[in-house]
Order: sequence, then C-alpha cells, then structure tokens
Amino acid sequence: MKESGIWTEVTFNSRDPLYLQVIRHFKEQIAIGQLQAGQVIPSRRELGAQMKINPNTAQRAYKEMEEQLLIITEGNLPSRITNDVRVLRHIRSELLNDAVDSFFSSVHKIDVSLAELIELVTSKYGLVRTEDTKIDGGGEQL
Amino acid sequence: MLNGVTFTAEKGQITCLIGINGAGKTTIMKAIMGLTPLKSGSIQIDGQPLSKGIYEKVAFVPDHLTMPLGMRLSEGIQFMQDFYASWNCERSSELMSFFKLNPKERIGNLSKGTAAKYSLLMGLSQDTDYVLMDEPFSGIDMFSRESIAEVFSSQLVEGRGVLLTTHEINDMEHLFDKAVLLQDGIVHKSFDCEEMRISEGKSVIDVMREVYQS
Amino acid sequence: MSRYLKLVHMEIHRFRYILAALMCIIAIFQITGLIRFLLRELGHRELVNDQYTLKPLSFAWTIFNTQRWFIAPMLICIAVLAIYVFLIWYRDWVGRSTFMYRLLMLPTARLHIYLAKMTAIFLFVLSMLSFQMFLLVVENIIYKLIVPADLRVDSFFSEIINSNQALEILWPHNFEQFLYVYGLGFLVIIVIFTAILLERCYRGIGILYGIVYIAACILLYILSYSLLDSYESYLYPSEMYAAVMSVCGVILICSFLLSFRLLSKKITV
Repeated sequence: MKESGIWTEVTFNSRDPLYLQVIRHFKEQIAIGQLQAGQVIPSRRELGAQMKINPNTAQRAYKEMEEQLLIITEGNLPSRITNDVRVLRHIRSELLNDAVDSFFSSVHKIDVSLAELIELVTSKYGLVRTEDTKIDGGGEQL
Repeated sequence: MLNGVTFTAEKGQITCLIGINGAGKTTIMKAIMGLTPLKSGSIQIDGQPLSKGIYEKVAFVPDHLTMPLGMRLSEGIQFMQDFYASWNCERSSELMSFFKLNPKERIGNLSKGTAAKYSLLMGLSQDTDYVLMDEPFSGIDMFSRESIAEVFSSQLVEGRGVLLTTHEINDMEHLFDKAVLLQDGIVHKSFDCEEMRISEGKSVIDVMREVYQS
Repeated sequence: MSRYLKLVHMEIHRFRYILAALMCIIAIFQITGLIRFLLRELGHRELVNDQYTLKPLSFAWTIFNTQRWFIAPMLICIAVLAIYVFLIWYRDWVGRSTFMYRLLMLPTARLHIYLAKMTAIFLFVLSMLSFQMFLLVVENIIYKLIVPADLRVDSFFSEIINSNQALEILWPHNFEQFLYVYGLGFLVIIVIFTAILLERCYRGIGILYGIVYIAACILLYILSYSLLDSYESYLYPSEMYAAVMSVCGVILICSFLLSFRLLSKKITV
C-alpha cells in the first residue's frame, strides 16, 4: 500500500478538477502496471494525506471510481482495484486513445502526410522502448 | 473595518478565508471566538448564537504565541487539560511526537515554526466540532509548513469544520474545500474550489487574481 | 468553583519567585538591622560601666529603634505589589505572547478570571503580613539569643506593634481599623481593576475613561467624607460612618458590575 512515490509524488495542476486528476492518476498507474488487478488501495484518508489533498476530494474520486467500476469496496474491507479484466483493458485503450487524440490535436495543424507521421512514430517508438527496458525490468502487460 | 460580512463554514469541510493583510480576517476570527465585540450582526455556531459554551465546540489557533513564555510545553498541555473537558490526551501526545516537540522546552525558547506547531497542537487536541486557524502558514519555514499541511489532510481534521485565514495560497489550494474572498470589508466571492475548477476551469489563484487585481 | 481555584493557583504560581524574593528582602533587611542594633547596644553597655549597663533592652524598644530597617523593605513590597496590581493584567496582553487570548477562551465564566486576579493580590498581601508576623517571631528568637537574660524584657504583642509606625497601620487593632485600612485598600484595587479594563476595552480613549473613572471614585469618596463631616452636619457619627460605608459600597458594586460587563461583552485582545 505504501509503494514509495506512487501516491506521494503526484503533481496536480490547480485548474482541472482535482478528483478527475486523481482518477486519471489511478488509470495511469493501472495502465503502466504499477497497480495490479485486485490490489488493495489506501483508504480515502490515507490517500488524502499522501497526496496532500483535501480528504473530501479523495472521497469524491473514490465515489466516481466506484461508479465507473474501477474500484470495489466490500463492506468494511479496504477498497481494491477491480478484478474485471474488461474494465482494466478498457482503461488501457482509453488512455491510449486520449494520448493519440492529443497527439493529433497538436499535429493536425501542421501539413504532414500520414506516411511521414508513421515513420516518425516508428523511429521514436524504437528509441523510447530501448530506454525503457534499460531502466526497469518491465511491468506486467495487461 | 468590516462592513457586512456573511458566509458559512461547514462541518467536514476546510474553508479558507482569503484577503490581503488588514482586510479584517483576523478580526472575524476574533469576533467568532468572542475575543472582540461585534458591533452588529450575529454569529451562529450550529444554528445557535454565541454563548459561553462555544469554547468546548470551537477551538482557535491564533497566529502568535498565547501561553506564558516561562511555561514548559508539558505544563501548557497540563493547563489546557485542566480546563477543557474536550481535551484529548492521546491526540496531544500523538501530535507532540509527530511534530517532534520536546515537552521540557520552555515556550519562550521556541522558534517560529515550532511555536506554530505547538499552537496547532493546542487547537487540534481539543475534541471540538470546529477549528479556526489564523494564518497557520505565514512566516513559517517550508518544512514546518509541510508538517502542518500533512496534519490537515489526515484524520486529525476529518469530520470537523475548519476555517482558516491566509493572505497567500502558494501550493495549499489543494487542501481547501471552499474559498471565501474578502475585500473592502465585504465578501466578494464565496465558492467551492472543485466546483470552480469543474465549471469554469479556474484555480483559486485565478479567481484571486480576478478579484484583487481589478 | 474549581476552575476559579485553578486560576488562582496559576496566578500565585506565576508570581512565586517575586513573592519569595520580597520575603527574602524583608528578612535580610530586618534581621540585619536587628542584629546591628542589638550588637551595638550591647557593645555600649559593655563600655560604659554604670547604671546604664543594667538598663534592660526590650524587644519593643529594639523594634522602635530599627524602624528604618523595617519600613524600607515594607515600602519596597508595597511598591512592588502596587505595580503588580497593574501588571497582573497587563502582563497578559503585552509582550510576545498574549495569554489573555487563552484566558478569555477558557470554558469558564470570565468573572472567574477577574476574581482570581483579585484573590491573588489579596492573598499576596495577606501572605506578606503573615510573613512579617512570622519574621517577628523569628526576630524575637534572635533577640533572645543575642541579648543575655538579665538584660531582657518581655514585651506585649501590642507594644511591639505600636513601636513600629508601619506595623501600627498595617496590623489592625480592631475590626473597624481592619475595615478602614484593608477595606479601603480592597476598594482601591477594585477601582483600579475597573480602570484597567476600561483602558483595555476602549484602547486609545480608554486611558481617559480609566483616569476619569478613578477620579470620579476618589471625588465621590472625598465628598461623602467632607459633606458628612462638617460641623453643621445633623448626622450622628455612627450614621455618618454608615453613610460613608454606603458610598463605598456603591462604588464597590458599580465597579464590579462595570468590570464584569466589560470583561464579558466589550473586551478585545
């Protein structure tokens, strides 16, 4: 529950709703494999303390995530990430889609052909992947 | 000079009263605590007007030392314990160790950051429904500030109504539920911070800029 | 009630070092003066070899002759206590720490704060008196140790008291005198407390209010005395006495009520 940094090193911007940023952080952590299916997550209070946000914000984020079926709270047990693989896969694709959307929105004003884009992406991909495998042992792919 | 200030601070929320120095924030706090007379208007705690009993319901953390300088920290705590039925001994010990305070130290010898922590301890160790804090972050070094902020978002504050004043927000706005902006003796704007972010995409600092720089 | 007592205890506790210092000063002055005088007197009696040698040396006589040594520290004590009548309030406002915040936020009637301070001053005065009495006993013992038995003369308690001008005033002979000296002193303190609270409530103009209040009380008192004391007065002495007492009573009650109201409703830190 207290993996160093996973909760405490998040930076928030002050203009976007904080609870949405918290949810997004959860999704990112799931997508990169830091949060496993069924993993126990900190209580609302603990999350607030570690992220240095208002506990009501943490509360709101949890509520929303429960509605999105991202986390499950059974009775008085601590909350956990869902075990539902479909939900987890959906997150992955959601984040990927968001990333691609923002890529395209930055790029679509520049006059560039699809082929050039693909070449660019391919070369960057190769570079980024080698750096990643040097740094960590690799997380589990969902 | 305050001239008709109206706002509500709720239980379970952290409300921040913002205003430039001299706007009257401290005066409001003092008026709520009965430390200065109200010329007109009323203050209600949980629907009841102010009375003697409020000191067991509302705790106040002033921005400066309020205990005799010759007293030791432990003696100060003993003093509070003697008078307040709502004093929570476990919490005061917990906070003493969290803030790394030395009970044998004399109050007069504390640094500004340590004194602020001690004042906070005094206020939070009372099991009150509400806690009022006057400028808990100003003039405090960064690390003391971080300790204090940690206390905010932890269980020490949850469930209570917190009203604090400040003239600068820095990186603290993530801690607040509600913000009340004071200027020229009246409330210019009062809003829920998350709602402001959701509906208008503005941070508290953005709103402050609008109100104070126009 | 217990909160009031706790406050009294706190007020005494805060003053304990000064109280102890005052007691030491009194003791040192008086005993020094006493021993000096006794040794000198005995020395004289040894030198001169006549009737004088056999002249007894009473304790009361000793006290009479060492008055300066006795009265000086008493004056110091009175001065210190008089200053503390003001400081007992102002020390909670002035300085790096404003203890008055804490006092006013205590879940106790504000009345108790006032009463505790008043009680404390009263107790300080009493303790000084008691200490003086205790010291007299000690001094008597010292006297008996220094002066050989054949030159000693026992003195009555009243003789001793009458030998010292200050003690004569401070140690009452009867209830009336007690009332007069200490009752008046008590009244003075109450009036000063009220003036202090006036100053603290109204800050700038408060000093004026305070001074005016004190002046008004003094005036009232003097007037009641002089009006009733004139040769053409048709009041009997006891009636006059009762009338002056009533005026004092009025001043007392007004001051109390005013102080409580100020402390509850108008005080500001």
